[in-house]
Amino acid sequence: MSKTITELFNEAENRYLQPEELQALSGYVDSLPVRLDVYKRLRDQEAPLMQKVADQLQGSLPQEPVSNIERSLKQALLLLRTCAMAMLLDDEALVEEKLVTWTRKMVQAYGTQQINRVLYRLLQENLQTLFVASDLALLERPMTQAESAFIGEQPPASS
Amino acid sequence: MISVADLFTDDRIPGNYFATDTYLKSDLELGIIENRAGSRLLALPAPLIEAIYSGLEKETGQATSLVLSNCGRWWGRNFYKRFCAELGDYYSTAVSDMPMVEFLQALEECWRVHGWGRIEIDQSYHGKGFLLVYITNSPFAALANVKGKNVCALEAGVLTSFFCEITGKDITCIELACECAGAERNCFVVGLSKRLQGVDLMLEQHQTPTEILENLTA
Repeated sequence: MSKTITELFNEAENRYLQPEELQALSGYVDSLPVRLDVYKRLRDQEAPLMQKVADQLQGSLPQEPVSNIERSLKQALLLLRTCAMAMLLDDEALVEEKLVTWTRKMVQAYGTQQINRVLYRLLQENLQTLFVASDLALLERPMTQAESAFIGEQPPASS
Repeated sequence: MISVADLFTDDRIPGNYFATDTYLKSDLELGIIENRAGSRLLALPAPLIEAIYSGLEKETGQATSLVLSNCGRWWGRNFYKRFCAELGDYYSTAVSDMPMVEFLQALEECWRVHGWGRIEIDQSYHGKGFLLVYITNSPFAALANVKGKNVCALEAGVLTSFFCEITGKDITCIELACECAGAERNCFVVGLSKRLQGVDLMLEQHQTPTEILENLTA
């Protein structure tokens, strides 16, 4: 759950929650059925979605060694699973902690920026055919968090 | 064609085994810290590390770094065993079959999650038979309370054993520069023991890491 909501639960001994805090909580609770639904569909669609992406990726980069493509696909699967969980829990920190540093280093070490850029675009395109805009909006924040690491862009100087 | 279903390891995609929030578990009631594989971890309070340094200095004087280095070697051997066993389980493969990039990245993450600072393996001298290791934010250097000399003998010992075990060869790791002696980061050289024999003398002559590496690779 988002940090703001988790922190609310620590306030029990201090005070009752303010209206705006309860608002934040019920906002999350209200969004949960949709989040669960998107999460389940992502889970069920993972295999066909990623298979399609894999086929298109191989088609777009026929010269690329299979081992490189497979490695990038694994990174994409990890990205998708982590983003799905982050979306379900509305947890911004999760992507950063579990995915970003690791992926950034892997992409740099293997130099697969080029493949990952194409792969990320294909992933986005295929997600758009499976989900409506409001579903995608839920996924957008974790996906954006993961994107720069995945396509091998340098992190902003502040971080 | 690539089959996505074949890319999974037991239906998982292993990522960072050492991600902080999944790796560390604590039970306050029992007063224990464990890692995700259930191995017990030990938290060392800063005053204890300080006391180990000052106590050793008082009791053994010049032999301090030798004692620390030997302790590090013991620690390193056990550390290597545990590192490989847990990582091997997680990736469902023998560590020797893991790609070097992932192995080293796991080592870096492992170092970080245990609070030993940031370790970086520099392979630019790989072709000449040496590895450079940089460590920043080391609690051991920070708590040594010593100025003007290299104090990371413990870590040098750990790295000595670690690389001996990986390569199966007689490897030594020597600290070339230390935050305690004014360097930006702690710098270690790793190589075959017989090729590093002259390094202690070079350090006594106050040679810089760059000069030492030039001498070693000349």
